[in-house]
Amino acid sequence: MNDMRIAERAAKVSTSKISATGVQVHYSDTHAIKDVNVEIEDKTVTAFIGPSGCGKSTFLRCLNRMNDTIDVCRVEGQILLDNEDIYDHKVDPVQLRAKVGMVFQKPNPFPKSIYDNVAYGPRIHGMARSKADLDVIVEKSLRRGAIWDEVKDRLNAPGTGLSGGQQQRLCIARAVATEPEVLLMDEPCSALDPIATAQVEELIDDLRKRFSVVIVTHSMQQAARVSQKTAFFHLGNLVEYGETGQIFTNPIDPRTEAYITGRIG
Amino acid sequence: MSDLSQHSSLYTVTDNVRRRNAVEKRFRAYGLAAIATGVLALVVLLSTVLSNGAGAFMQTYVTLEVELAADKLDKQGNRDPEEMKSVSTFGYSPLIRNAVIARAAELGWEMPDGMNPKDMGAIISKEAAAQLRNFVLANPETVGTTITIEMLTNGRIDGYMKGRVDRQFAALDGNVSPEQLDLVDLLVEAGNLEKRFNFAFLIAPDASGQRPEAAGLGVAILGSIYMMMIVLVLALPIGVAASIYLEEFAPTNKWTDIIEVNISNLAAVPSIVFGILGLAIFINFAGLPQSAPIVGGLVLTLMTLPTIIIATRASLKSVPPSIRDAALGVGASKMQSVFHHVLPLAAPGILTGTIIGLAQALGETAPLLLIGMVAFVKEFPAAPPEGFFDPASALPVQVYNWTQRADAGFVERASGAIIVLLIFLIIMNAVAVMLRRRFERRW
Repeated sequence: MNDMRIAERAAKVSTSKISATGVQVHYSDTHAIKDVNVEIEDKTVTAFIGPSGCGKSTFLRCLNRMNDTIDVCRVEGQILLDNEDIYDHKVDPVQLRAKVGMVFQKPNPFPKSIYDNVAYGPRIHGMARSKADLDVIVEKSLRRGAIWDEVKDRLNAPGTGLSGGQQQRLCIARAVATEPEVLLMDEPCSALDPIATAQVEELIDDLRKRFSVVIVTHSMQQAARVSQKTAFFHLGNLVEYGETGQIFTNPIDPRTEAYITGRIG
Repeated sequence: MSDLSQHSSLYTVTDNVRRRNAVEKRFRAYGLAAIATGVLALVVLLSTVLSNGAGAFMQTYVTLEVELAADKLDKQGNRDPEEMKSVSTFGYSPLIRNAVIARAAELGWEMPDGMNPKDMGAIISKEAAAQLRNFVLANPETVGTTITIEMLTNGRIDGYMKGRVDRQFAALDGNVSPEQLDLVDLLVEAGNLEKRFNFAFLIAPDASGQRPEAAGLGVAILGSIYMMMIVLVLALPIGVAASIYLEEFAPTNKWTDIIEVNISNLAAVPSIVFGILGLAIFINFAGLPQSAPIVGGLVLTLMTLPTIIIATRASLKSVPPSIRDAALGVGASKMQSVFHHVLPLAAPGILTGTIIGLAQALGETAPLLLIGMVAFVKEFPAAPPEGFFDPASALPVQVYNWTQRADAGFVERASGAIIVLLIFLIIMNAVAVMLRRRFERRW
């Protein structure tokens, strides 16, 4: 994985997975997201970049309604997942979150065994009819999380006993265990060392085959390495959205250019 | 400032630094003094209680052969317990007195001048006649025979055996005489009188003011246990449910703020106020019986609830939000995230808070005085749940009760009861610490 790939990369088929129009987010008095329109494609890695506090994480959390848990947060506008409005009153966020998985900034495995960490989602969604089914799901998920070989002999060990990078991959395995269609990642590598980061990035590229991945990152290099599409947020606005190669080599908006070249941020 | 600008050696300590060091040294001294005062107070308290109360765990017993004269106990000769019940304890006292006189005569005791046979019988507890009567009514066939029976001695004699009473004291005391003590010495030598562990103290019911030797904590311990059962069963689920709702589900608005402030205030309300509440609501309005563990338990539940709610909320708060996010992120409902993840992590804190709340309730006296648990209760309450409605006492109230009585024997009993209460509290707090250590998890 290196920057060389930017040039040879192109999004092949553009089937829209998530389509957001006119999204506004208010935290009591603060207008955090201002009229964002974005189309997130299927089987693509989309990176959200921007300086701290620009609203990229807030917008990410709108996509699986994690903002519902914050009392003062108000979301307006329309977000469609496969042409269904996820903020429709008929939608139960629990069902939505099974379809739109999430990986957080700090690795947060449950203080349970590795097996139970992964099996928890499938269990509560009733995805396994028997212990054998569950075993299959757990193994498949851990393999997709690229951590199976490291933990297969100690599935009953506590998930919190793993190293930071392993914990984060375990969290990814946990997120993919419910067979989501979209995977949201909120700065998944910010707490990891460079080697663990490289492993997770490789994994993200791999996940693109099955999922639509949306990743928030502070590292522009990371965005360049893993994503096909990049969105640049600044002060709650979506400034520019396009092919990653184009954003990094030939940005249209002067603010994007300023950020990429390190003049704002 | 001039100090700094001038050339100064590191070897000379500046005034400023010296002053700061002095302040720090003084502060440490204050701290040490504070701790020393606390420790001293604790040592004095414990040593007083222990030295006063240790005696309550030993008791003097006398073993004598008592002739159960048939003509006195069963005049009809039918050996029918119903008929024999007409003989009251007054009919049994002479038998015991005769037994003492007979044994003294066997040992070559000559009654000194100024002592009469009644005084000889008085070394035995007044409780003994009742004990003997109960024995005879339970075993009517023994009437007419001579049995060997172990009885309590009088409280003063017990005090003599424990060193509380001496001859000088006895000469001044109307209840005991030096001659009686001589007789006791003789009986001890002959092996009829001995001091041993007082198991009855822990299981026997209370006794009247003239017989401290027979008084026990049985009813009080049972009453306290009943109340703790009620408190645990009511306060734990209500408290935990309230805390979970307030902490995890309730919106933050004016109303929850008011509730929060009120819960904190309730925790600081003097316990006697809860007693008045209990009297007004549970006894006068709801018509529950007085002196009953159910009322005590309900009042203590109200008192313990704020403690449990505050402890539970604190431990729920200490669970990192990332765990909630993780659970919600894989599609758990709010309730699943709380019950599958947050609650197990908060459990040690909740348990500790509950046990500390229970320990607090166990030692609470004031509200129980108001709901009538201070009454003299000699009957054991029945097994739960009916027993919850029977009159009972409670440990701290029993202490209060005994310290009110005249006989010096009760001072010893009261201190003994304090020791029992303290042991219960230490055990509960130790369990709390143990649970916390055991289930504490790091993440």
